[in-house]
Amino acid sequence: MSEIRRRTLPRSRILRRRLTAAVGWSVAAAAFGVLALAMLHILGLTFLRGLSALGPGIFTRNTEGMAGGLRNAVVGTLVLSGGALLLVAPLGMAVGVYLSEFGRGRFATSVRFLSDVLVGVPSIVLGYFGYIALVIDLGWRFSLAAGAITLAILMLPYVVRTTEQALRRVPTALREAAYALGGNDRQVVLRILMRAAAPGILTGLLLALTLATGETAPLLYTAGWSNYVWHGRLTHQPVAYLTYVIWSFIGEPFRSAHRLAYAAAFLIVVFILLINGGARLILARVFGPDR
Amino acid sequence: MRRITAAAAAAVPLVLAVITGFLVFYAARAIRFNGIGFFTTNGWSIGNQYANPIQMHGVLAMPGMHFGIVFLLVGTLASAALALLFAFVLGIGATLFLTEIVPGRLTRPLSSLVELLAAIPSVVYGLWGIVFLAPFLARHVYPLFARLGAVVPFLGRPIGAGYGLLTSALILTLMIVPFITAILRDALLAIPAELREAAVSLGSTRFEVATRVLLRGQGRTLIGAGILALGRALGETMAVLMVSGNALNSLPERIYSPISTMAAFIAAQLDSALGDQTGLAVRSLAEIALVLLVISILTNVLSRLLLRASPPLHV
Amino acid sequence: MSPRRFLTSAVPALLLALALPVSPLRAAPRPVVLSETGSTLLYPLFNLWAARYTRLVPATRITTEGTGSGTGIAQAVSGLVTLGASDAYLSDFLARRHPNLLNIPLAISSQMVNYHLPHLDGRALRLSGPVLAAIYEGRIRRWNAPAIAALNPGVPLPAHRIVVVHRSDGSGDTFIFTQYLTFTTPGWKQRVGYGTTVNWPAVPGEIGATGNPGMVEALHTTPYAIAYVGVSYASAIRREHLGTARLENRAGRFVALTPATVEAAARARVGSTPADERLSLVDAPGANAYPIVNYEYVMVRTHQPSARTARALRRFLNWCLASREGSAPAFLDAVGFVRLPKAVRAISRHQIARIH
Repeated sequence: MSEIRRRTLPRSRILRRRLTAAVGWSVAAAAFGVLALAMLHILGLTFLRGLSALGPGIFTRNTEGMAGGLRNAVVGTLVLSGGALLLVAPLGMAVGVYLSEFGRGRFATSVRFLSDVLVGVPSIVLGYFGYIALVIDLGWRFSLAAGAITLAILMLPYVVRTTEQALRRVPTALREAAYALGGNDRQVVLRILMRAAAPGILTGLLLALTLATGETAPLLYTAGWSNYVWHGRLTHQPVAYLTYVIWSFIGEPFRSAHRLAYAAAFLIVVFILLINGGARLILARVFGPDR
Repeated sequence: MRRITAAAAAAVPLVLAVITGFLVFYAARAIRFNGIGFFTTNGWSIGNQYANPIQMHGVLAMPGMHFGIVFLLVGTLASAALALLFAFVLGIGATLFLTEIVPGRLTRPLSSLVELLAAIPSVVYGLWGIVFLAPFLARHVYPLFARLGAVVPFLGRPIGAGYGLLTSALILTLMIVPFITAILRDALLAIPAELREAAVSLGSTRFEVATRVLLRGQGRTLIGAGILALGRALGETMAVLMVSGNALNSLPERIYSPISTMAAFIAAQLDSALGDQTGLAVRSLAEIALVLLVISILTNVLSRLLLRASPPLHV
Repeated sequence: MSPRRFLTSAVPALLLALALPVSPLRAAPRPVVLSETGSTLLYPLFNLWAARYTRLVPATRITTEGTGSGTGIAQAVSGLVTLGASDAYLSDFLARRHPNLLNIPLAISSQMVNYHLPHLDGRALRLSGPVLAAIYEGRIRRWNAPAIAALNPGVPLPAHRIVVVHRSDGSGDTFIFTQYLTFTTPGWKQRVGYGTTVNWPAVPGEIGATGNPGMVEALHTTPYAIAYVGVSYASAIRREHLGTARLENRAGRFVALTPATVEAAARARVGSTPADERLSLVDAPGANAYPIVNYEYVMVRTHQPSARTARALRRFLNWCLASREGSAPAFLDAVGFVRLPKAVRAISRHQIARIH
C-alpha cells in the first residue's frame, strides 16, 4: 500500500517538473529569439533602406541643405575618428604599458579604477565638457580639434585596457628571456613585448575606432556641422559627420532627408561590422577560437 | 620608460580630475541658486527672457526662472529600471538557452549575434526606433496593452504615438542586454562540468540544473553585471533622445507617456539653455552632468566590488 | 601572410591612411565660409539661398543648419556662427548687453495652427487666442468642448481628448505663438507669458517636439493632436492631410493664412519698425490681417573676424533682400514667406552697412 503511494506521488511531480522545464526552456528560447530577431531586424532595415538610398552621388557630392550626397560627412567622420585615434593611440598604449609592466601599488590601482570610471562617463557629459571648455572657453569654435579631442577622451580607457590586457597575455618567460639577454626596459617593451602583443593592441585600437565612428553625443556640440568637405583647419571650422545626418535628417519631413539618413546609417553600420569582424578575425587567428 | 609611461598614466586621473573640477567649478553658481530644490521640485524654466534680470538667491536670474529636475530623475530611473528588468529576463533566458541547449559548436556564433547588439551605434537604435519600433508598438502592441488598462495600473489609454517611457526602456534593453549575457555566459562556461554531472546524476532535469545549480551561484555576478548595465542605461543619450518623446516638466502617468532623461535632456536643451543670458540654465545643465558623473562613479565602484574584476569593455 | 607580418605592415598603413587627410589639402585662396544655424522655419529658405548663391559666388561657401531660433540667437551671441537665424527678435536685455549684435529681418513669415482630425474632410476649424490658451493650459480638454463648438457651428467635432503638442527646444515659433496668446488672453499673460521657451502648463498626454519637422511628425503620427507650425512647412502639412485653422484676429474676424492676409498684417505694422528692427507683428489691427505674422531675422555681429568675411557677408545679405534675387517669388513663394516692404528693406540695408 505505502509502496504504491510512494511511486504514484513522484510521477505527478515528475510530470510537473517536466512541464516546468518545458515552459522554462521555451521562455529561454523565446528570450534568445527576441534578441536575435531584433538584431536581425535592425541590420535588415539598415541594409535594405540604406542600399536603396545609396546613389551614385552619395560619395561624390556634398550635402546641399537636406539633399545631395554625403561626401562631406564621410570625409568628416574619417578625419574626426582618425584624428582622435592618432591622439589617443600613443597615450593610451603608454598607459597600458605602464599598467601591465611597471604599475604596482596604489597609483596603478587608482589609474586602473579611474580608467574604468571614464568608460562609464556618459558621452554627452564629455560632449558638454568639450563644448564649454574647448569650443567656447578656449574659443576653438566648432572644429576638428574640439571634436577629435572629445572623442579621444572617450576612447582613452578602451585603448588603455586592451593594451594592458594584450601585454598581460605575453608569457612571462619572454620578458625574463629578454631581460636576461641584457635588454633595458625600453628595448624589452618596444622590441619584444609590443611586438608580441601587437594583434591584441591593434584589435583594441580598431574597436576604439568603431566606437568613435558610431558616436554622436560628444560631437553634436564640438564638431558642429558643415555642408563642405573639411579643408584643413584644426580650429574655427566645423566638420560634418555621418551620425549627425542620421540624427538630424530622420526628423525632417522630406524624402530626400530620410534617404540621406538611411544611407548614413548603412555606411556607419557596414564600417563598424567590417572593423569589428576584422578585429575578431585578428584575435581568432592569433589566439585561437577561444579569444 | 618607467617614468615616461608613468607620466602618461597620470593622464587618466588628470583627465577625470579636469572634467570633474571643471563641472564643479562651472556648476557652482547653479548649485547655489538651485539648492536642494533641484532634486525635490519639478519644473525646468529659463524664465521670462524678455524681462529684465533680477536678484534671486544672491545671483542674477530671470523672473520665473526655476530648475527642478524631478521629471528627469523619474524619467531616467523609470526607463533604466524597466530596461534592467527586461534585460535580466531576456539576458538570463537567452544565455541559458545558448549555453545549455544550443550545441556547443553554435554557442559562440549565436552569442555573438546577441552581443553584436552592443556594437550598433546608439543613433542607429534611435533611427530604428523612429522608423520601426515606435510606430509598430503604437499600432500593434500598445493597443493590446491598453485593453488591460482597466485592470492593470499605468496601462490605460491614451497610448500616444509610441514615443515614451516603454519604448525608451525597450530600446535601452537591447543596448544593455549584451553586458548581462557576456558576463553571465563567461561565468556559466567556467563552471566545472562535474557540478552539472553531479546534479544530473541526482535526478535533476536539465532545467533544474540550470536554475537551481548553475544560476544559484551567480547572484553576485548578475548583480555586478546588472549595476554595470544600469550605469549604461542611465547615461545613454541619443537613442533615448530620439524615442522618448522629450517630455518637458511632465511626469509620466502611464507606460506610454513621454519622458526625458538627464543625459538626453543635456543634449536636447544645451542650445536653448545658451539662450539664457544669465548663464544659469547652462550651469544647471552642468549640475545635471555632475550628477551623471557621480552616478557613473558609484555604479563602477559597486560593480567592481561585486564582480571583483574590471567590467568588460567589449562584449 | 602570417598575422604578425600582416600586422606589422597594417599598422603603419593604417596610421598613414589616417594621417593623409590631416595634411593641408589645398594651397588655393581659402573661400569665405559663412555658417548659419537657427530657426527651422528659415532653414528651408536658407538652403535654397545657399545653393543658388554659392553657384553665383563660388568664393563664398554657406553652411546651413536647422536647430531652432534659441540656438540661432545663442550661437550668434557667442560668435560660433556667422548667421544666427531666428523668428524672434532680441530681448531688451540682450540688445542692451550686446550692442554690436544686429537683428536684421530678411522676410516676413507667418505661423499655422494645425490639427490632426481624421474625419473633418480638410475643413478649416475656427480658433481664437483665448480658446488656444485654454487648450494649452489644459482647461479645454476635448475637441467637442462648448468653447470650440461655439466657434464652429455645424462642424462635427469628435469627443476625443486633445493632444497638445508644443516645442521642447528654444524656438521662435514658440515665441510668436505665445505672443499671440499673451496679446489676446490676459490670463495667459499672467500665468505663462511669451518667450522662445516658456514654462508650459502641464497638460496630460502633451507631447514635446523638436523643431518644426518634429511638430509636423508629431501631428502626422498622433490623431487628435494640435500644434503650431511655421509656414515653410505648409507643403508638408498639406501632404499629410492635416488641418489648418482660421484664427481670430484683433478685429474679431477669423482669417485663413494666405499671402494677402499676411501682407495685410504686415502693412498695418511695419510703419512703426524702429532702427534696430525689433518689432512684433503679432495680432496686428485690420479686418483682413492674419494674427500670427513675424519678421524672419538673422542675427549677425557688426564686427567680423576679417574684412573679407564682412564684405562677403554684406554682399550675401544684400543679395537676400534684392527683390529680383534672394527675395524673388521663386524663393519666397516656395516657403510661403512674403517679401519685406521697401521701407523695411531700406532699414535692413542700413543695418547691413554697419557690418565691418
